[in-house]
Amino acid sequence: MVKVSLRNITKRFGKVVAADHITLDIQDGEFFTFLGPSGCGKTTTLRLIAGLEVPDEGRVYFDDVDVTDWPSYRRGVGMVFQNYALWPHMTVFDNVAYGLKIRKVPQSEIKSKVKEVLELVRLEGLENRYPHQLSGGQQQRVALARALVVEPKLLLLDEPLSNLDAKLRIEMREELKELQKRLGITTIYVTHDQEEAMVLSDRIAIMNNGRVEQVGTPQEVYRRPSNLFVATFIGRTSVLEGVVTAIGDFVEVKISDIKVKGVAINEVSVGDKVYVVLRPHDFSTRKEEEEVNIFEGVVEWMAFTGGLLEARIGISGGKILVTLDDEVPASMGKKLRVFVPWRNVIILKA
Amino acid sequence: MISKSRLREVKKSLDPLIAFQYIFSYFYLILFLLLPIATIIRQAFLYNGAFSLHWFQKVFSDPDFFSLSPRGGMFFELHGDTMYIWGIDHGYILNSLIVAATVTISASIIGVIAALIIARYDFPGKNVFRILILIPMLATPFVNAYVIGKFFQPRGGLLNFIFYDVLHILPWRIDVNGLAGIALAQTLAFYPIVYLNVLASLMTMDPTMEEQAESLGAGGFKLFRTITLPLSMPGLAAGATIVFIFSLEDLGAPIGFIGYSGNPLARRVMSVYVFDDFAAAVTGAISPITSAIAVILVTFAVTGFLAIKKYVTLKTYATLSKGGRWKPRTRKLGFKGMALVYPFFILLILSASIPQIGVVILALTDWAISGLAPKSITFEYISRLFTDPNVVRAISNSLLYSGAAVLLAVILGSCSTYVIARSKLPGTDALDSLLTMPIAVPGIVVAVGYFLFFTGFFRGTILDPLVDPALLLIFAYSVRRLPFTARSVFAGLQGVHESLEEVATTLGATRFKSFFDIVIPLIAANVIGGGILTFVYSMSEVSTSVTLGALREDRGPITFYISQVIYGTAAVGTVSVAAALCLLLITVQVIALAVSNYILKQRVAFLGI
Ligand SMILES: Nc1ncnc2c1ncn2[C@@H]1O[C@H](COP(=O)(O)OP(=O)(O)OP(=O)(O)O)[C@@H](O)[C@H]1O
Ligand SMILES: [Mg+2]
Repeated sequence: MVKVSLRNITKRFGKVVAADHITLDIQDGEFFTFLGPSGCGKTTTLRLIAGLEVPDEGRVYFDDVDVTDWPSYRRGVGMVFQNYALWPHMTVFDNVAYGLKIRKVPQSEIKSKVKEVLELVRLEGLENRYPHQLSGGQQQRVALARALVVEPKLLLLDEPLSNLDAKLRIEMREELKELQKRLGITTIYVTHDQEEAMVLSDRIAIMNNGRVEQVGTPQEVYRRPSNLFVATFIGRTSVLEGVVTAIGDFVEVKISDIKVKGVAINEVSVGDKVYVVLRPHDFSTRKEEEEVNIFEGVVEWMAFTGGLLEARIGISGGKILVTLDDEVPASMGKKLRVFVPWRNVIILKA
Repeated sequence: MISKSRLREVKKSLDPLIAFQYIFSYFYLILFLLLPIATIIRQAFLYNGAFSLHWFQKVFSDPDFFSLSPRGGMFFELHGDTMYIWGIDHGYILNSLIVAATVTISASIIGVIAALIIARYDFPGKNVFRILILIPMLATPFVNAYVIGKFFQPRGGLLNFIFYDVLHILPWRIDVNGLAGIALAQTLAFYPIVYLNVLASLMTMDPTMEEQAESLGAGGFKLFRTITLPLSMPGLAAGATIVFIFSLEDLGAPIGFIGYSGNPLARRVMSVYVFDDFAAAVTGAISPITSAIAVILVTFAVTGFLAIKKYVTLKTYATLSKGGRWKPRTRKLGFKGMALVYPFFILLILSASIPQIGVVILALTDWAISGLAPKSITFEYISRLFTDPNVVRAISNSLLYSGAAVLLAVILGSCSTYVIARSKLPGTDALDSLLTMPIAVPGIVVAVGYFLFFTGFFRGTILDPLVDPALLLIFAYSVRRLPFTARSVFAGLQGVHESLEEVATTLGATRFKSFFDIVIPLIAANVIGGGILTFVYSMSEVSTSVTLGALREDRGPITFYISQVIYGTAAVGTVSVAAALCLLLITVQVIALAVSNYILKQRVAFLGI
């Protein structure tokens, strides 16, 4: 197992900066995810770690050894590609056995190791099939088995679940997590699906335009997003603009005629313009003692989704999205009063 | 300025495999293509040891080479009961250009019409026409013109006999020969090249383009002129240019006409001039005049090639040859249309297939000696292919050279296209051009270049063509027919996603290993398909075979043997045996195309042959 360090890693394709001075450490045994919108440079970063791309600047370290100039085949990583990249002219067995053959493992040992890893990914009995004779989920597991069988120090997974249907995706996601914990292998995962990232990861790096915007646990990036991009990318949000009026244990912000208390992520001072980030799930209709964090407005749109009520409320400083108990008496065009606890209100410097 | 990151990129690309492939490709192409041509250029511009335009001045001031005023010849002249259509002599250079321009225009007209009909209309028998229209592409070197001559002979020619003597439709006998004969034979042989290229353009064209224009009110000729023609321009430009180049370098038609009638005008083109001078080269030298002519030839050809380069590079070719992304827009042909289309195709195919039909008749009957029409069937000439020691030797020489050339072309083609497809090394675009360029370099120029370069720098060695031309023929074939293999392999490589190799390298495979374990098995069909085409077109290669091959009789390949028979410089056999050899070439070609089409499921890589 291995600890991976990136120092100032930069990669440009012409004018596009696919990786922009990325510096971070991935701990031994950690399940680490790069999360971001399409084209933000996740795959590129993964490929830089695998040695499939050469960085323009910066260094890559495995356990403090500089591997930047090592070719891919020396790095000992296992990688699963977005398209699985199974070799169409080889059977499942040959696909999985390839890495062992390269390592000149004796024939009998190859047999037993392939058998073992196929059991691990629950593909026993499919050894002699060709890739085109497998379902998407099975192909994905062959790709995983092929990467795992050589007992890599580091497992790199590029959107391995994105080609599967929703149900299978959730199943495979659980299997993957369980497998990773069992093997204890350092794993770097790439996805644009925030839910997947939240469920799987020990820590997440949120990427945008080649830059890493924030690194943190799922809890941290959700509750304490370091900027507006992260705040709006993770989870659903309503964003209001306001001005800081007081600072204490909490920060007080005025949004047109509403007073809001919240937690500031960055340094702010009185008079600063700020964004107030609100999560729909944090709202309730419970009455509160204090005269803050109360929003009142007309319901402009509403819908019932599985036991919950979703509504958009027009308030004086903008619009907010709320998710409430579906027992709440609300109707279109009528006024509704909602409340949000101050610890859940995120305040970001504008 | 080369940036540091670019250097790193290059350094990463330069693993041992790529480095070897890169160096090997350039080494081979420089040694067997660029340096020989450079030697010609050097000799053409050298006079008394200094750079000079002397030889070009000499050539252009000699009316034998270049004359704006006519120097004889007959063009639609009536003498007695015969109309002579021979062409007017303006010296070697202008003659070649006039013939090539005529052939290009007429082949383009025929090719475009045929392609438009096939691409846009449906009618019964279309698929039969589609196949028959390609018959002229079957190789009948030298014998084709011989047969055309035999058809047009004023006395005893089949056409004149039928239309003048029997049916009395023609007011006079017609004698098509000389430059006009060459132009006719070449038009009939080369129009399929335009046809195929234009057809490919039309097939890959998005049909909504035309629909859009129609919905805006454009129809009929306007639609054709404003939308269809401009969009098929890439195919037309490529096809027409290749026809121009082929006509310039063609030896088969002129030698065929010289062979059967001794017509003096058939001699008066640049390719024959070079060829004749080459015959004198056995004594050891090629004159600088010939080099100057070769430089002129190569200038025209390469200029043409550069003009169409962007349509014929590997990269474009790979996208074009996929084709059929759209369902082509076709329309049922009405009765009036059919009344035009059927006669057009039947007449075209019949007249264009005259050489092939004639070859079959010559090979299987006594037509060569029976006069007007064949009298009996005989397998005597076919059996000579297996019994006559000279013929057997020519066949085995051809098989040996072509086989070896395929091997080299496959190695070279795989190496170079892999470098182009996968590495970011500087010079890959130039390599792409070099791989496609042999299409444009006249074979006769290659022959002159090889002679000058290898007799000059490798005198007395095994590479000296005066010692033994066999090796040089193999290298010449491999370079001249390289584009077939290169294109096919490149198309294959584009179908192999890079991640298939990358995943192997993450598993510990070097590029060398992944190339052989992953890439080669996946492109095997393309390699074989390209190799087959290279083989076929090596077997029927003319220009270097009849020049370099002539330097040592026992090393001559099939086409050299045929030329000997037709040209009549040596009494080595009869034209019927030559026809039997053509039949052999045709058979090989048909089998090979069938294999690559139906077994390997490849669209025939005819495009821009
Ligand atoms: N080989 C390349 N050549 C040129 N540009 C590239 C190359 N690879 C990636 N890019 C560009 O770099 C940027 C980042 O690409 P990358 O594939 O890393 O994104 P990604 O985050 O993995 O996106 P996705 O979620 O769509 O897979 C994109 O703008 C992309 O177009
Ligand atoms: Mg990606």
